[in-house]
Amino acid sequence: MTDEQLRDEVEAWLAANWTGLPAHHESFGRDPRSAWLAKVRDAGWAVPRWDAEWHGRGLSNDQAKIIERAFAAAGAPGTGQDRSNLWANTALAHATDSFKRTIVPQLLAGEVGMCLLYSEPGAGSDLAAVRTRAEKVEGGWRVTGQKVWTSGAAVADYGMLIARTDWDVPKHRGISFFFLPMKQAGVEVRPLRQITDEAHFNEVFITDAFVPEENLLGPLNGGWGVLQTALAYERSVMGDAARGPRSGAGGPKGDYSLLGLAQEAGRLDDPVVRQDVAQVIAWRVLNKLNTQRAKAELAQGTSSSIMSLGKLAMSRILHEEARVRGLLLGPESLLEGPEHPRAEDANFLALNAYFTSIGGGTDQIQRNIIGERVLGLPREPEVDRTVPFREVRAG
Amino acid sequence: MTDTLVRPGATLDAGDRVALVDSVRRLLADRCTEADVRRIMDSESGHDPDLWRALSALGVTSLVLPEAAGGAGLSAVELELVMEEAGAVLLPAPLISTAIASVLAPQLDGLADGSRIAAIAFTGAQDWTGHGDVRIDGDRLSGTARFVPDAAIADTIMVAGDDGVFAVDRADVTVTPLPVFDCTRRMADVAFHGPATRIGDGAQVDAARDIGLIALAGEQAGGARRMLEMTVAYATERHQFGRAIGSFQAIKHMAADLLLESESAISAARDAARQVAEGSATKDAAVALAAFACGDAFVRVAKDGIQMHGGIAFTWEHPAHLYLRRARSGAQLYGDGAHWRERYLRALEAQA
Repeated sequence: MTDEQLRDEVEAWLAANWTGLPAHHESFGRDPRSAWLAKVRDAGWAVPRWDAEWHGRGLSNDQAKIIERAFAAAGAPGTGQDRSNLWANTALAHATDSFKRTIVPQLLAGEVGMCLLYSEPGAGSDLAAVRTRAEKVEGGWRVTGQKVWTSGAAVADYGMLIARTDWDVPKHRGISFFFLPMKQAGVEVRPLRQITDEAHFNEVFITDAFVPEENLLGPLNGGWGVLQTALAYERSVMGDAARGPRSGAGGPKGDYSLLGLAQEAGRLDDPVVRQDVAQVIAWRVLNKLNTQRAKAELAQGTSSSIMSLGKLAMSRILHEEARVRGLLLGPESLLEGPEHPRAEDANFLALNAYFTSIGGGTDQIQRNIIGERVLGLPREPEVDRTVPFREVRAG
Repeated sequence: MTDTLVRPGATLDAGDRVALVDSVRRLLADRCTEADVRRIMDSESGHDPDLWRALSALGVTSLVLPEAAGGAGLSAVELELVMEEAGAVLLPAPLISTAIASVLAPQLDGLADGSRIAAIAFTGAQDWTGHGDVRIDGDRLSGTARFVPDAAIADTIMVAGDDGVFAVDRADVTVTPLPVFDCTRRMADVAFHGPATRIGDGAQVDAARDIGLIALAGEQAGGARRMLEMTVAYATERHQFGRAIGSFQAIKHMAADLLLESESAISAARDAARQVAEGSATKDAAVALAAFACGDAFVRVAKDGIQMHGGIAFTWEHPAHLYLRRARSGAQLYGDGAHWRERYLRALEAQA
């Protein structure tokens, strides 16, 4: 099929089928767009790079982009999931054949809600230290443990779970990866109240929950490898999403640029304030310029060392911007509530900056990654790398 | 001045740009080693005429001089890239002054073949030192311009004032070389006493200063990158406590932060160059941003780089201090960080 024929076909299909959708939705839980997504899946547009056996068309990257452009032009969602659907990609790569047949089509249509069961109270930066245990029983495993920082857990049908299946080997080699059914008695979800007084995440308490045999992804005790591919997809999806202050309930109410706020607060005649404001704006612009340069370098096929700097840069920007906003407001920043939206903004941003500097890998872990993977500095020796996990000190 | 002399330069395509940068890099690797830098730094004039001729022969000294004036007629983009290479090896040569002169007075004889070196004294509102007292009375100049880079080796002193550009022969001024902290960037005070030739009305002064700032920003970005490379290489080789010191997070985390600084400097310098080359409406902000971002970044990378090396970089024999000296001199030249942050904010306010 030529590119023109493909473009004609997808455009004709969209013209005949696409009639728009109701308002936008969260990316967790059952997708209210699932009727449309199922249609996209069945027509072979959801994952055009995949084989026909898995609802795809076996197309090249360039051809898939023709489809993505046509969908984007029509404003229709649903294609490009071969790049963006973390859950379906992980399942396709690692699930057992029988489970794949059930779950992949459901994931492509958003018919099942998903969540991530990775972090634990004792396994944050050191994710390979998970202590949630999965013990072999007839027909599957029994899982017990505690997970944390789980978005969408209350509405999820499955959680992508890492749990320890062998305690007598070093930590990376005794972990397995499962699709844990969430709607069962042994799974309790509790909202986690954040320092911002919001609750975007949950704690998940798992007590003797059952996961069937076929829900194991990848080899038994090979979960660390599966996790790496899942994390890579997650990072690429997160990289596409806009960063910065979160808006919405509990988020910033106003629409103040730093310069606008400084102006409104009447502080632009203070030379010290002006230096601070200029510096924070500059960091934001520099980060944007770095990202543009990284994308241009990647497009030219040269590798870019800059991409990995964005998150670290953003941490500093957010913390410093919050500090300067407080400085601009003076005593007003002692207040909160709807009568004081500027103070509410500044204080929210000061707290929510940690969402970026701790979440998704702390700044300190990020610096290790940049130092080791970008600059090529040697790894720190790890005392627990070759020790059976049972003997590793915890707490 | 004809139209062709004030038109902004052309930009090369990506392939030619790489070839240009490669040829400069090769020349510098051959002719501007650390030993060369130290030799030139220790010399009376701080200038190597042979090296300057080699740079001229390659076209580096007339890069942004318009083609109609016998130059290569290239844009700020190419200048910035070349200056990254020059900054990486701490090239001691009057490239920034020459780039400014190429925009300020392209018609001046001898710029095209490098046979005339011009030093630039900014005066009046343009006096970045705040210490000069040059007075312009008709076509006569009096008073002293302070901290004029390259003045002692110049054939011509150009005076960029608020409403006129003047050229004065070296023989008609009194040049007092200054005991500079960074011997790879010589400066002098220049006292005027009398006649000068008016060569422009001042319309080009802002553009000339922009090109100087971009050249300086490129030099700083290139210097920062090289200093970081040296530091990372050393942290990989140097072992203490049975480990490469770069494996310690205390060192590794500093290196990661410095990478952010040096890459941001490169982004800022290149963006300012692009905006100036394109005559963008937001170029004033971009140039001001590059001026302080690159200056601050180079100082921080050089300063922390020495700390990360430890004792070896506290020795005169190690080149690290040469980078810190260059970084500190650049961070003052044409206005310090605070000055350009203030100018940046003003540019943003003007845009808003």
